[in-house]
Amino acid sequence: MSFISKLGVSVIALAVSATAVSAESSNAAFWAEAGKAYQGVTLHGVTESTPPSNYVKDVLAPEFEKLTGIRVDIETTSWDQMYDKAIKDMEAGTGIYDMVYIEQDIIYAYLSRNFLVDTTQLLKDNPALKAPTYDEANFTTFANYFRGENGDLFGIPMEAFIKVYLYRTDLFNDPEVQAAFKEKTGRDLKPATTHAEYTEIAEFFTQWGKDHGGDLWGTTAQAHTGHAASWYEYFESIAPTFGVYNWGIDANNNYAATVANGGQMNSDAAKAAMKYWLHLRDIAPPESVQSTWTEVATTFAAGRAAQGLVYGENAAWIASDESKSRVVGKVGVAMPPMEAGVMADAESGKGYVGYYDGGAFGLPITSKNKEAAMLFLQFIAQDEVQADWALAGSRITNNATYDDPKVQELDAKLNGYFTMLRDQGKLFAGAPPYPFHAQLREATAPIFYQILTGAIDPDKGLDMMAEKSEEELKALGYRK
Amino acid sequence: MHPNKLGWLLLAPTMLILFLFGVVPFFYVIWVSFHQWNPFAADPSMIFNWASNYRQLVFDAQFMASLGVTLAFVFFAVLSELVIGYLLAQAFMKDFPGKAFFRTIHTLPLIMAPIIVGSIWKLMTTPSIGIIPSLLDSWFGYNLNIGQSAMAAFITTVVMDIWHWTPLVTLSLIAALVSLPADPFEQAQIDGANKRQIFWHITLPMIRPAIIATVFIRLMDAMRTVDEVLMLTGGGPGSATRYVGVHIFKEVFPRTNYGYGSAISVIVLYLTIVVCWLLYVGLIAPRNTKKG
Repeated sequence: MSFISKLGVSVIALAVSATAVSAESSNAAFWAEAGKAYQGVTLHGVTESTPPSNYVKDVLAPEFEKLTGIRVDIETTSWDQMYDKAIKDMEAGTGIYDMVYIEQDIIYAYLSRNFLVDTTQLLKDNPALKAPTYDEANFTTFANYFRGENGDLFGIPMEAFIKVYLYRTDLFNDPEVQAAFKEKTGRDLKPATTHAEYTEIAEFFTQWGKDHGGDLWGTTAQAHTGHAASWYEYFESIAPTFGVYNWGIDANNNYAATVANGGQMNSDAAKAAMKYWLHLRDIAPPESVQSTWTEVATTFAAGRAAQGLVYGENAAWIASDESKSRVVGKVGVAMPPMEAGVMADAESGKGYVGYYDGGAFGLPITSKNKEAAMLFLQFIAQDEVQADWALAGSRITNNATYDDPKVQELDAKLNGYFTMLRDQGKLFAGAPPYPFHAQLREATAPIFYQILTGAIDPDKGLDMMAEKSEEELKALGYRK
Repeated sequence: MHPNKLGWLLLAPTMLILFLFGVVPFFYVIWVSFHQWNPFAADPSMIFNWASNYRQLVFDAQFMASLGVTLAFVFFAVLSELVIGYLLAQAFMKDFPGKAFFRTIHTLPLIMAPIIVGSIWKLMTTPSIGIIPSLLDSWFGYNLNIGQSAMAAFITTVVMDIWHWTPLVTLSLIAALVSLPADPFEQAQIDGANKRQIFWHITLPMIRPAIIATVFIRLMDAMRTVDEVLMLTGGGPGSATRYVGVHIFKEVFPRTNYGYGSAISVIVLYLTIVVCWLLYVGLIAPRNTKKG
């Protein structure tokens, strides 16, 4: 390279750096200026205690306070308590919270009650509030779950992940295990693509654990006999892979749930899904009957299961955090096993292959600090803060995050989890757009738990649940 | 200022707080119980439905089952706490090395929030990581899994309640025992009474007011137990530990069935009063009648 060329490149590099520094300082200037009007304000938020939420509390909130002078107190609590507190606050109009976590499945209920501020409109009405680094176009399509009928955004996405099929690469690649599996089943050991394959692998490893005296089982199961987590695993992760979508309820057919009325909740496919899952539960580690989403991840991280369906929010720490996980560097990621036809349904948009989980921060209409809260929500939505957040919580809500070198490095450790989220996330789906989410779940859950304990036969239990669903929907006024 | 007026003035803040946070919510719950109200229904408004909620709960198998297991829980937990509490109180009446240390240790569960107690017991009873299943397995070959066995879950909740609340009973009974005069015991010993006779005819009658007060407190507490059980079992397996407090929680909070949940709350309050009244009639009233 000639001297002139070197000089030219240097000048360009300096110019780019100067522009970046200038942009950064102008951003800092914006936050400082915007925060001036809200000195002394303390924002209160409530969210579930998860890795992504804890990052907001421990990292983003202090950073925001440093830039703006606005204090942010984030309360991280259990999933049940979070909803209890948020709903009571918004229902009573007390205005305690300026930000509430909205899980994707509750957004429809909140929108139906007009609990949330239209953030798009708020920024249109207050252009001075709009941060130069905030743009709704930065979000992935997951943000669409939080849009109202007018297309405006009612929640700022803060986490998004898919419930994936994790498997132990060390076991699947072990020549001794492979040979034993081949001898027993006549086929090569590789991640399952069908339920039959998954069951075969699970049975094999549970037996392998027994024979070799190790604490190893063939699968995880989120099968708590008194917590809603089991209900969700069945309806959102298992039943869809048997072609039973939207909990088996047909919203376009007067919310029918029973087969007799046009629903699918007690269909043959739903019953097959239930029996498949109950069998997996029986060959899963004994703690499975007390496991919610968190414990399933812990079981997998403890090296007690060869494979399992695990919420993506846990994928990063399972695969990379040696202080918590015994299977660092031994985790593979794959699509969930499914019945024939389900993938075609997912690709055509008629169905889906698993649960696309996630949530947003919403701004309650009852908040007394809407503008200051909107500043904070924009702050956490910037591309600039996303990469480290993704590393801490394996969550991605902005398109640009996928291209960050740190994220790509973690993606390699995760055997392509983020790549799967980006490329195949569209095949997964969040909860159906029902405003009666928790109500229907709690009405049918007692029957569901009795199926799990064996007090009610699975076929009969699903019949009862479908009837109870229709009864509840009628009582709530949705089914005519 | 007239002493009466001053008295009322000094009481006024307490009465105002009690009125605002006790009386008003109580009547509000009664008012809500006569309505159909679910804020996430197609019609989220409160609709007056007379006594429909009360009629519904009589035929609600889930509620009846819940009431049944609650009464069983209360019976076993409170009775056990009373017996163990009395034995411990008697033990602490005697001098032995390390008495002060053991008395302090034994009261520690009392200062723990119920939700913490539930978490601790969950950790201790989870198969594979819990110390209790591990010990039971190595000592007796018994496989404890409270997510699977209804009976094991029920017994564990009772044991957890005993662990948490027996110290309260012990402390109450120690207070009663230390205040007993020595004369009747000395006279009984001179007259040749044995330990059983002294317990039955002197100790028990003299500490009966303390026992009854303690039983009332524990009974009311046990009837409304929620946090510990919700954390430990979630009401499961199935509905094995879905005590009325847990049942009300699930109806009112996740299901947001405010009207029906309020009706259950009112009935449970009424039942608690009835049970206390029955105890009063059975244990205190006959004695007062004899005195009269």
